[in-house]
Amino acid sequence: MALIKVNLLRGTEEQMRNFLQQFAKRFVRKEKSSIAFKVLFADFKKSLELNNQILDIIGDANDKLSGDYIFDEHYIHTTCEQLTGLLRELIVTINHLTSQKYPGLFNSFHRIEEDLTLILQGKVLSQDIPLTLPYSEITRDHIDAVGGKNCHIAEIGSYLGLRIPRGFAITTSAFELYWKAGGLGEPVARIKEQWLGEKLSLSEASLKIQELIFKTPVPDILEKAILAAVTEVVGKDGPCEPCFAVRSSALGEDGVTSFAGQYQSCLSISPDQISGAYKQVVASLYSQQAMEYRLKKDFRPEEIMMAVACQLMIPAKVSGVMYTYDPLRPEDETILISSAWGLGEPVVSGAVPTDHFVLERKPPHKVIEMQIVCKDESMVITEHGGPTSAPVREEQRMEPSLKARQLHDMAEIGILLERYFRAPQDVEFAIDQAGQIVLLQSRQLQLYYDRPPRASDLSGLDGRYPVLLRGKGVAAMEGVASGPIWILEAGKDLADFPMGAVLVARYASPQLAKVIHKAAGFITDIGSTTGHLATVAREFRVPALFNTGDATTILNDGCEITMDIECLTIYEGQVSELGHYSLQEEVIEDMFEYRQLRRILRKIEPLNLVDPESDNFSPEHCKTYHDLTRFIHEKAVEAIIDIGFYHAHHRDTQAGKLLWEYPLDLVIIDVGGGVEGEHTKGVLAEEINSVPMQELLRGMSWPGVWDMTPSRVDVNSFMSSLTRTVPIQNSSPQDVGRNLAVISSEYTNINFRLGYHFTVIDAYISENILDNHLYFRFSGGVTDTVRRSRRIKLLGVILSYYDFLCETHGDTMVARLKRMDRKSMLKRLFLLGLLVAFTRQLDVKMINDARIDQYFKEIQTIMEESNDD
Amino acid sequence: MTIEQTSILILDDEPIVSKRLKPSLEKKGYEVETFTRSSEALQRVTERQFNIVITDLKMEGMDGMQFLTEVKELNPDTEVIVMTGFATMATAKESYNKGVFDFLAKPFKLGEIFEVIAKAEKKIKRLER
Repeated sequence: MALIKVNLLRGTEEQMRNFLQQFAKRFVRKEKSSIAFKVLFADFKKSLELNNQILDIIGDANDKLSGDYIFDEHYIHTTCEQLTGLLRELIVTINHLTSQKYPGLFNSFHRIEEDLTLILQGKVLSQDIPLTLPYSEITRDHIDAVGGKNCHIAEIGSYLGLRIPRGFAITTSAFELYWKAGGLGEPVARIKEQWLGEKLSLSEASLKIQELIFKTPVPDILEKAILAAVTEVVGKDGPCEPCFAVRSSALGEDGVTSFAGQYQSCLSISPDQISGAYKQVVASLYSQQAMEYRLKKDFRPEEIMMAVACQLMIPAKVSGVMYTYDPLRPEDETILISSAWGLGEPVVSGAVPTDHFVLERKPPHKVIEMQIVCKDESMVITEHGGPTSAPVREEQRMEPSLKARQLHDMAEIGILLERYFRAPQDVEFAIDQAGQIVLLQSRQLQLYYDRPPRASDLSGLDGRYPVLLRGKGVAAMEGVASGPIWILEAGKDLADFPMGAVLVARYASPQLAKVIHKAAGFITDIGSTTGHLATVAREFRVPALFNTGDATTILNDGCEITMDIECLTIYEGQVSELGHYSLQEEVIEDMFEYRQLRRILRKIEPLNLVDPESDNFSPEHCKTYHDLTRFIHEKAVEAIIDIGFYHAHHRDTQAGKLLWEYPLDLVIIDVGGGVEGEHTKGVLAEEINSVPMQELLRGMSWPGVWDMTPSRVDVNSFMSSLTRTVPIQNSSPQDVGRNLAVISSEYTNINFRLGYHFTVIDAYISENILDNHLYFRFSGGVTDTVRRSRRIKLLGVILSYYDFLCETHGDTMVARLKRMDRKSMLKRLFLLGLLVAFTRQLDVKMINDARIDQYFKEIQTIMEESNDD
Repeated sequence: MTIEQTSILILDDEPIVSKRLKPSLEKKGYEVETFTRSSEALQRVTERQFNIVITDLKMEGMDGMQFLTEVKELNPDTEVIVMTGFATMATAKESYNKGVFDFLAKPFKLGEIFEVIAKAEKKIKRLER
């Protein structure tokens, strides 16, 4: 597929070249001085092409994480090569276009490229990461630096908003330092080789490596960093003798069942004991089970790293453990909770008797069993911070250690964690002195089926459960999910979306991402797997089925369903066979290729340069390929407009202000047959010969288009908010804004630029269907995000309806259309004209979701009217 | 179940391919065996017949083209589906010449291979009749 894709891309480049050659031919008779502009204009067009190609490939690569594809390492390599090649070409192009104005782009590019090369070699990058990181600073992107456990507990705090202990991670940078300073790499590799060569048994190899680690001291610099982190985390209001839990947080540990409990945890550790505990935890990286497990999971040597979690121990009133399934009888659909008074250590290790509760998994999580034991002793933290064993007060001994409310809250938290981490969870928690639930750890729970679910259980499902929908839609994220349907329709507010429901909506709008933590799954009538919601669904592993066409009409609100995305099937009812089968399936996203693709994408996909007006919008601040692409696009447009402006009066590139009944402050540059006659004082709308431009202007000036908004806006004031009128002759292009159209008889590239609001239309219309394309990009706005997102949604609704392929990235909407006949293309250009005029004012008016439908209908009416002409 | 299961052998030296395909195909009711080494897969096809063989082309040791040639020689009724990350017209042509049923360029969607398998199954059923 990859190779074929390249060929296709080459194809479009070729078309591009032909197209540009046509341009060149037209200019043969003209003077030499103008060639520069034509060449530069070709650069500009090329940069746009490259930009589109790069963004397409990035989108496709993310789509591979949906689980719906068979891909291998080779794909990851070729994708990187492709992107790197295109990026290099793009940087050369922008520098050509701007007379080498941005050499700094090469530096950023090479930095990223080098990182990519290292990642492709299997390396996990931890450069630039400090030796320790406090939980408050850890984000999802740090997973390779802080390990799964640290990252997940920090995510539980920041993404899910639940209480977690104060703490910090000792990162993989620290591990690398320790490993290097102690010279451990070589001897450990040798022992491992002996094990794999069957010269040493697993237990001998494990023991030898662990001995080596125990003998290796923690470097001073690391010891100091740890103590500094302790001081920061404890703060002024912390205990005077802080007490830590030091736990493993190895790479790939938390997502995976078999790792659970294989590594060391050290509890009640004082600050000066942390480095000793650190060594113990690191040594457990080479426990027998861990070594064997990594072999099975195809861990590369470079991936074997241990980060460590240091958490301030909670002076717990109650401690407990929750299993979101009964591991021995998962079919029972129950949640198990055991708890006792005081600190967690004796509760977790089973040293004290615990109360035992069984709750139903399904809300409202009825307690179906309760065993209260006599709790004589508990471990508590003394005033000085150290732990000690103390007798439990007489009246508390037979009292349940958790109240009904707390049990219910824990069950809800359990389901939330399970949904977030896409697997049954084993959760450690504490109730602090204020009675609040604090989560200490959440990891995957291994289930043991009496009779493991088999694929054959799934045959005949159709006879047992009604099939509501089959064979429709595309998988944005694979998986199985059950829950009641909640249809987003007029009059409903996303804020009311209930926990655990399946969200069904007409469009895969980015605003649906707001309920990602609550949703069991997503189903939409319309939506693309490379769009924003799809990316978010993959990031949070929420099963998502898009583009079903009519799910909103087929499915009923409140109806309990089970979706099996792999089979593009939606069943009525809770299909427990599917649920259990998928629970014991190996999580494909934990495989090496997925890990590698995610690491690669972290260097490619995130967009850090969002605001062109901000100081960090510079080559040096480009951290990803997307940043570079975005920066270059912005500068290419800027450059062509500057050039167009200063060359405005070359005879062969006629340029002039559009003289129109609407004060649209637009400078037009004609590069071939776009304008009739010679002009020195401006171009009349009637003199424009450019087919796409004519159609755009027709749309923009359609009678009544301005009056559609509920509060009437008079044409002049509206248009002046659309454009800024500045006399052209005595101002620089920056002042004029960037309202500029580059046109020829068949081509139009138009840029409207005002403050933070930016519209680009790029259109080529000819009799040759294959060459026809439309590109529409709309971004920015001045109102609040909700209204802006409604506006984007409206655009998406309209443009999708008229067959555009729409992609939304935050505030930016990109809509593309290719290969339609001339008539259909013109109709859609007219639509874009309408939208350009219409949407400027629109974000202010988007006060509720109902407006989306209203405006959509109005636009449809105009489109029908205009067609009758 | 009265209908006999369609048997499928998958050979790809990258374990992720089999790991992804096996459970999905089993869920659809197929009987699936997977291999990452061509020698072992070849051994297996001499022991029993599969209705469908899905193989990668570029592998360490015996390559896929050689493997599928042997498979076809052993059991001309076995339908072979090729999947490869190095799709060129030449390899596609060569595969078809060897009697390959269909050719999938990696990466591909699960739905695509489901479809191809279903078509191959239809052909097999038709021939049996």
